Amino acid sequence: MSPIILLRGIYAIWLREITRATRDRAQLIGGVSRPLIWLLILGVGLNPYFRGEVYGEVRFVIPYTYLQFLFPAVIVLNIMYTSIQFAVSVIWDREFGFLREVLVSPMPRPLILLGKVLGGSTIAMIHGGLVLILARFADVTLTLGQMFVALGLMFVLAFGLTSFGVLLAARVRSFEGFGVFSNTIILPLYFASSSVFPLDPALTRTQMVTAYPEWLVFLVQINPITYAVDALRGVLIGFNQFPPTYGWAVIAAMAVVFFLVALIDFSRS
Amino acid sequence: MSKRAPHRWRPAAINLMIVAALMSVLSFLPPDTSLSDRQRSGVLKLCVPQSFPPLVTGDPNAPGYDVELAGAVAEALGLRLTVNVLPSIGRDYNPRNWSLTRAQCDVVGGGVADTPQTRSFMQTIPTQARTGWVGISRTGALPPEGQTIAVLPGTSGMDRLALSGWLRQQRLRAQAVRGPAELNQALQSGAAAAAITERFVAAGLDLDPSAFQMFWLEGDTFASFPMALGVWKGDQTLSRAVGAALAELESSGALEHMRERYGVGSDLGANRS
Repeated sequence: MSPIILLRGIYAIWLREITRATRDRAQLIGGVSRPLIWLLILGVGLNPYFRGEVYGEVRFVIPYTYLQFLFPAVIVLNIMYTSIQFAVSVIWDREFGFLREVLVSPMPRPLILLGKVLGGSTIAMIHGGLVLILARFADVTLTLGQMFVALGLMFVLAFGLTSFGVLLAARVRSFEGFGVFSNTIILPLYFASSSVFPLDPALTRTQMVTAYPEWLVFLVQINPITYAVDALRGVLIGFNQFPPTYGWAVIAAMAVVFFLVALIDFSRS
Repeated sequence: MSKRAPHRWRPAAINLMIVAALMSVLSFLPPDTSLSDRQRSGVLKLCVPQSFPPLVTGDPNAPGYDVELAGAVAEALGLRLTVNVLPSIGRDYNPRNWSLTRAQCDVVGGGVADTPQTRSFMQTIPTQARTGWVGISRTGALPPEGQTIAVLPGTSGMDRLALSGWLRQQRLRAQAVRGPAELNQALQSGAAAAAITERFVAAGLDLDPSAFQMFWLEGDTFASFPMALGVWKGDQTLSRAVGAALAELESSGALEHMRERYGVGSDLGANRS
């Protein structure tokens, strides 16, 4: 098969995913309801507990407001949900026979998977990108350059997470099971990623474990989503809790490793 | 008659536009009540130190750059400015001991530097002035190790810990003083071989220029910083309104006039040797 035909095949699969997701208004509105809840309700609700009351008092010692701090994490949460839940479409295609039809086509399996993952990543990036509209609300000033870098980062993160979702889908056989399973993975990963509370970068590890129990600090530090949130914070508000290269490296590694493992799984199925 | 099929992307584009419009509308919701509270009370409270020339002078005819600036901002917001003079500001290394609370101040002025340390507690709105640490001695240089240095940290929110660490490294004995008068006395009497303080505090000292020389402290630890008005962290709506009022004053030329009047140019940092 010529490369042009293979590219058209990938495009067709990508387009199907995009069309299905963007034509479903309920799915789109559902997708943006999460950042609205997290930023508008939780962010505003907790703001008084993180705001300045006494000059010099140590409460939330990072040079940003709580809403600014939370904003990049909410984008990552939206990408996590959309990417991992995208795998439902894999289960759906498997249940209703569409996947079988595609698999018997002359398209190589890795490219079929690539088309699907690219479709899922694009949708997740759109869902993450829509949250950028709320930057004004969170008082985050963005340049065009920052937005492009952030969208690129979101896409690579979404690529890794969509591949991870496909991996999960291969192990879960029903829609209901997947829904419960994905929530038990997404929420702990999100909460243990320094998303809603900062690990103060000014503190040493010894000082940090006096503020938080050691097991929580350990969980945050081994969680790859911590570094994804940190990388996006670096791009959007210029704040990093870890060396900035860590985030980029972890996101790239997630994309490569999860896609390769998903590929092995998908080729076997 | 055949009906033309809608473009493939049209439904998707319509859906995305609906969602984007919804998000845009919601992004205009006020995230807090800080501005509406001030509007209800009709007052904007500004906290300043007793004296910090030329930002705070104590002279009713020329009260200082920051005080006039805050007055103009309050006027633009339709509020009455109340100036709370707090002598505790700048008297201690630890700003917590200044007892500066939300109940006393809506805005803090008179020597707030726009540094990460300040931004840990307040949102800063730059005012075009610049500051940094300066040394004062008879020789125009720091004395040899073992000597005593009078230190007045000032109110600016510059990194006091870095300064005290640096002084220890230089093996100089730091002696904290409580105000410009005490600093002056320490220098004049010879109790301190030199002094370190913030740029505007130094400019306001009554020292004989033929006897004492001022010099900027050199090194990365001592970069100069823009000065700012501080609004409590989390007071988003008030901070936006103050920022917008300042931008309006800048574009009308009123700020430029104030800077000329008080000699607070944006190139103050360029004076560094």
